[in-house]
Amino acid sequence: MNQSIGMKPFVTLVGYPVSRSDLTRFIIIATLSVACFVITVSSLSRSLETLYAQLFYFPIVYATYFYPRKGLLLAGACAVIYEIIAYLYIFPDTGGLIYVTGQAILFVCVAALVAFISEKLNTSEARSRSIVEKAQSGIILFDQNTLAVHLTNAHLEKMLGFSSEELAGMTFPQLFSTPEDREKFFAALKSGGEARNMETVFMTRDKGPLWVNLSTSRITENLVSCTVIDINKFMLAKQAADEIDNQYKQVADNFPTSIIIIRNQMIVYSNPSFEEFSGYARKDLMGKDPISLINPVDHEDFRDASHLAETRSRPAGRIEAGIRTKSGKMHPATLFFTRILQGEIPAVLINLVDIPGQEVLKEQIQQDSKRQRGIISTFAYELRTPLQPIMGYINLLTQDPDKYGVTEETKLLLDRCAKSVDRERQIINQMLELSVIDAGKIPLDYSIFPVSDLLTEIIATGGYQKNAEITVDIPPYLTFDADRNKISTVIDTMLSNAVNYSTPPRKIHIAYISPPGDTMDRLSIKDNGIGISDSRLDEIFEPFPTGEKNEKKERYERIGLSLAIAKKYIKMHQGYISVDSIMNLETTFCIHIPKKRPEEQEDNVT
Amino acid sequence: MSHKIMVVEDDQAILDLMDLMIRKLGYEPVLIANGLEALERIRDEPPAVILLDIMMGPIDGWQFLEKLRSEFGMHEMPVILFTASPSVDEKMAGIKDPYLGVLTKPVSFDELKAGVGRWVR
Repeated sequence: MNQSIGMKPFVTLVGYPVSRSDLTRFIIIATLSVACFVITVSSLSRSLETLYAQLFYFPIVYATYFYPRKGLLLAGACAVIYEIIAYLYIFPDTGGLIYVTGQAILFVCVAALVAFISEKLNTSEARSRSIVEKAQSGIILFDQNTLAVHLTNAHLEKMLGFSSEELAGMTFPQLFSTPEDREKFFAALKSGGEARNMETVFMTRDKGPLWVNLSTSRITENLVSCTVIDINKFMLAKQAADEIDNQYKQVADNFPTSIIIIRNQMIVYSNPSFEEFSGYARKDLMGKDPISLINPVDHEDFRDASHLAETRSRPAGRIEAGIRTKSGKMHPATLFFTRILQGEIPAVLINLVDIPGQEVLKEQIQQDSKRQRGIISTFAYELRTPLQPIMGYINLLTQDPDKYGVTEETKLLLDRCAKSVDRERQIINQMLELSVIDAGKIPLDYSIFPVSDLLTEIIATGGYQKNAEITVDIPPYLTFDADRNKISTVIDTMLSNAVNYSTPPRKIHIAYISPPGDTMDRLSIKDNGIGISDSRLDEIFEPFPTGEKNEKKERYERIGLSLAIAKKYIKMHQGYISVDSIMNLETTFCIHIPKKRPEEQEDNVT
Repeated sequence: MSHKIMVVEDDQAILDLMDLMIRKLGYEPVLIANGLEALERIRDEPPAVILLDIMMGPIDGWQFLEKLRSEFGMHEMPVILFTASPSVDEKMAGIKDPYLGVLTKPVSFDELKAGVGRWVR
């Protein structure tokens, strides 16, 4: 049936185009018909009884099958001619005439039956043909061997500007714009048997290029159907987008910071800044999995950030990661992830800011604080030296009152002076301590020590028992794993504050409050002092209150820097200090430090 | 005979004070403002303890200590660094010298007593 819709004109007869197959059939029908008449006539002329009427069915059925109406006419013609021949030879044999007439009528009946069946078949074929004709995409049927175009539809004709006749006279390869495109298509057809969504360029009648999408499917062994979709507008838009992309690349190429674009976990673009930064040439970077450039410890962060950027447009993510350069060095960098579209494909643009750039700033800050420490150090030296004679002479005067004529009253005043000098000395020392802690220059000296011994020692050294009723509630044999001296300083600060900010009868309660199974050691120190207002709770740990806070110092001014130092000491232990207070009733400081010393301290077993 | 305590210090105000304080402690002060001069004196009359300032000239306390230990071979002469300089603790952390101590200025009478008393019976 497919052959029947071939529309290849071979010759033109009386203004009608006649295809090769039509001509062949015409010759077959004519030959058969003529043969039938010749056999009929010759058999009658030799007085043979038989008329060989059955012979006529060959041309009639054959013709009617292909050309139902013409076939019917042929059957009629054959019937009439057969009747005439019979009359001429067998008249007036009435029985013979009836038989011959019956045969002639049968010709037409058979032809009508065949015509009916053929029409039916042709209707379903016409339906298929109309589907092809009315399809919204171009359809072209071609012979795989001869590459001759067998059928095209209106859509394709409109698309390319050719008429169906013009197309029918062409071969399929002639439709391609360039030999390269053509070869690519046939290569695909050969290798995979079928082409799927191949984007290529056809040539229109006025020699213009037309972007099309081709998909083929094999209909018979030789016949291939090809769907042609016009994607010209889309491709032109894409080209425009690519142009924008190119312009964008031009910008990125001249960008001072490093930029790479990643698609499907491959680097598809890198700018010269990145090449310079990484030490790799562009050709080395293209197609590389960017993860291979990232410090393994940052892999997870990197994957998360690129995945986030790929799936969400905003906000741009940022991570800090080490980048391994070609020389094998690890460079810290800040990576900013942005989702972009390359054509229609989502991609991730990464802007890398070299941390050494930030490092300069960091270094400057470090230098500034180094300078600040230098200033503090110089001041401390200059302030301490003149204190020596003051402190020394006051000590001497009170040591030897009789020798220097110091009365009881003067001694009292001198003691106050001595206290003040001592306090100043303490402030200078604390200031120095803070600046050293801030520089990170103080190491922790971890050891395991019994807490009750430490408490006894602190209480005795500070003379706190004289000023307050101290109760201790800790398990016997309780030990801490920490820097003993630092913890001692912290507890001493707490006790000193408890005494300083309360009035007799002073009560101080020290308790170990960790519940069983706790990972932290928690020691609370509760006093019955004046308390601390909520608004001041954070502030008391601040070494240098600023602005209005400064004006509110009031009665707490003597706290000085000791709590700030205590907080830092405990923080160095990866712990914290909490404080609860009820005004004019009580204050509880609590020291929390991990039971297990931090890993980096583990080798420091003492 | 009481123990000699040598003070090497270029600040006269402090030398004056130390004179009184050391006497009060019951020792005999040897006060010298110049490190080189002090080194010469040590040979003839070695003190029980040296109180050594750091920031002074023509040689500073560290140079003095170096000469005392290596040139004079006095490895067991107790030296107390007597200074207001904050950097001394940091430097001390890197020195393993059992006969070296520190007293940070200002020092109270009691602290001086304890500091010197460690070395002198």
